[in-house]
Amino acid sequence: MEIFPALASVLTDPILLGWVLLAAIVGMVVGAIPGLTASAAIAMLVPLTFYMEPLPALAFLYVIGKSGRYGGSIAAILFNTPGTAASAATQIDGYPLARQGKASKAMKVATISSVIGDFTGEILLIVGVAWIAIIALKLGPPELFAVYFAAFIVIGSVIGKSVTRGLASAALGVLVAMIGLDPISSTERFTFGSFDLTNGISLVPLMIGIFVLGEVFTQIEEKHVKVEMMPDSKDAARNGLSFAEYQPCLPHVFRSSFIGAFIGMLPGLGSAIAAFVAYGEGKRRAKNPEEWGHGALEGVAAPEAANNAVSGPSMAPLLTLGIPGSTIGAILIGVFLIHGIQIGPTLFLTSRDLVFALFACGLIGIVMYGLIGYFGAAFVGRFITRIPTNVLYPIIFLTSFVAAYTSRGNLFDVYVMVAAGFAGWLMRKLDFNPAAFVISFVLAGGAEETFRQALLLSDNGLLIFVQRPIAFGFLLIGLLALIARVRSVKRAERLRTERGLG
Amino acid sequence: MATGSSPAPLAVGVALILIGIGATATSASIALDQYGRWGARFFPLAGSLSLIVLGLVELRSMRGSAALNRRYLPLILALLFLSVAYVWTISVFGYLIATAIAAPAALWLFGIRNPVGLGAAAVLCPAIYHLIFFQLLGVFPPLGRWFDLMDVIGGY
Repeated sequence: MEIFPALASVLTDPILLGWVLLAAIVGMVVGAIPGLTASAAIAMLVPLTFYMEPLPALAFLYVIGKSGRYGGSIAAILFNTPGTAASAATQIDGYPLARQGKASKAMKVATISSVIGDFTGEILLIVGVAWIAIIALKLGPPELFAVYFAAFIVIGSVIGKSVTRGLASAALGVLVAMIGLDPISSTERFTFGSFDLTNGISLVPLMIGIFVLGEVFTQIEEKHVKVEMMPDSKDAARNGLSFAEYQPCLPHVFRSSFIGAFIGMLPGLGSAIAAFVAYGEGKRRAKNPEEWGHGALEGVAAPEAANNAVSGPSMAPLLTLGIPGSTIGAILIGVFLIHGIQIGPTLFLTSRDLVFALFACGLIGIVMYGLIGYFGAAFVGRFITRIPTNVLYPIIFLTSFVAAYTSRGNLFDVYVMVAAGFAGWLMRKLDFNPAAFVISFVLAGGAEETFRQALLLSDNGLLIFVQRPIAFGFLLIGLLALIARVRSVKRAERLRTERGLG
Repeated sequence: MATGSSPAPLAVGVALILIGIGATATSASIALDQYGRWGARFFPLAGSLSLIVLGLVELRSMRGSAALNRRYLPLILALLFLSVAYVWTISVFGYLIATAIAAPAALWLFGIRNPVGLGAAAVLCPAIYHLIFFQLLGVFPPLGRWFDLMDVIGGY
């Protein structure tokens, strides 16, 4: 019940509330701009938060992540361009509704569903996270390494179009993380005699490169694409939303919220998978499946609830095990570390008040973006159509350089950011998985440490991972996830061949 | 192994194998610890060998290739050149001059041709970024090795 004092503390701090409000607005605008994601905004803003107190810094970025997930629906419904990968599922029914002149109605459904989904996920996180931390404290190095192993496999293989290239992205992330001095023996690895490389590759410029500069490279190819907003009907009956109209959406919203929360807890899967699983499940169970895809309100509600329900639970592996469940989690690790906060199960012993205050900020942030979105989504949409992308992206380009420099005051980091930016563009172009690359980069240090600790504990070398049942269980989960994914890819290939699609 | 064909499977497979071989050779040369154990080599070797295996899988499962749009490659390469040149210019002429050159160049690459706009960007961008990051946030600016405008205007 620590959340109530935390809520009271946050609500009586006007400066903190100001940061949360600013984050709700920034996240929504960034999420709604086609091509930009909350991850990109957070990566770019991380260096600014180094100069803030820990709670406002974490709350600011955390709420941008939440609001950014919701903001994607604005682009999906109003512009027929998903602002984020997850909102592509919202677009399926959202855009037909906008074409019928019901854009505001669709936005209201998206907003309410996002808020319910996000609240569900956040409450599950608040209730469950301390229990997970207690269990996590009992895990030894072999079990923790097995969890890391499963995370690598799931992150690499499950997201994206190509299993091979997804796993290769994860392996490349591990290799880049190995650059520098070995933390145990101080042996140089992959430094090639360069002094700059002995300090290793810093997370912040790498992320700014992959998510921000990489996106600028992508957008220079798409600068000719103009964002246009669907005209909205002035008819109140078309665009108002009554409870009777929303009532059929409620079962879908609750089911999708739990689907999103469950998927959110699994490292690396993220909003896009949650949204599409919820959409598919919703359509399967719907009383009106024939209307889905042609402008069903339930078809907007289900993916939006799942998309936002991911946000809270995706923090659970980060806070309890130090394993980021999403790219936003990977970025937040850097912020925790910069402020001297050690994440993992002991976080609840050392910084319990901070964690619950962060959850409280999350709950207040949901209310804020919900209110802004319900009453102002159309205004945000109109505002975005007025932003010329050929001016916006050069500004983002310049900002990424100064942000990368600011993180450590080092020009070498800026070169790293440029290399990562080009690599990020190339990865997107070649169906590699930039998110898997970054998350693996973050996970590699912890995975290596637990692996070597486990071997020191073992009398039988690698057999320790098989002899300990929990560790063996997690290794099996990883392998089964890989086998299931390979089978599903082969089945899809077979179907394509049978249909003559090559 | 992908849902549908991915672009350039041959090039990607070969690249993965070559990176994997290079990384394996480098990993094998990582010094052993004081007890002669392989501790520091395990993960680099695991990552490198995985790349070789994944490269082989990529080549083995090669079935056709999705088209790769190369239409904007010159623009991408120009932006990459601008990025590297921008960092190098910062290191020799400092942040203000480098940004005064890079801002209009970036806008030009994105299709802005208005000379007034480009001129305004050359003045406003360095001034605004300098004010936010190096004055308000107190970050120490990157100074030019050869020449720095800050020495003239004294804007530290």
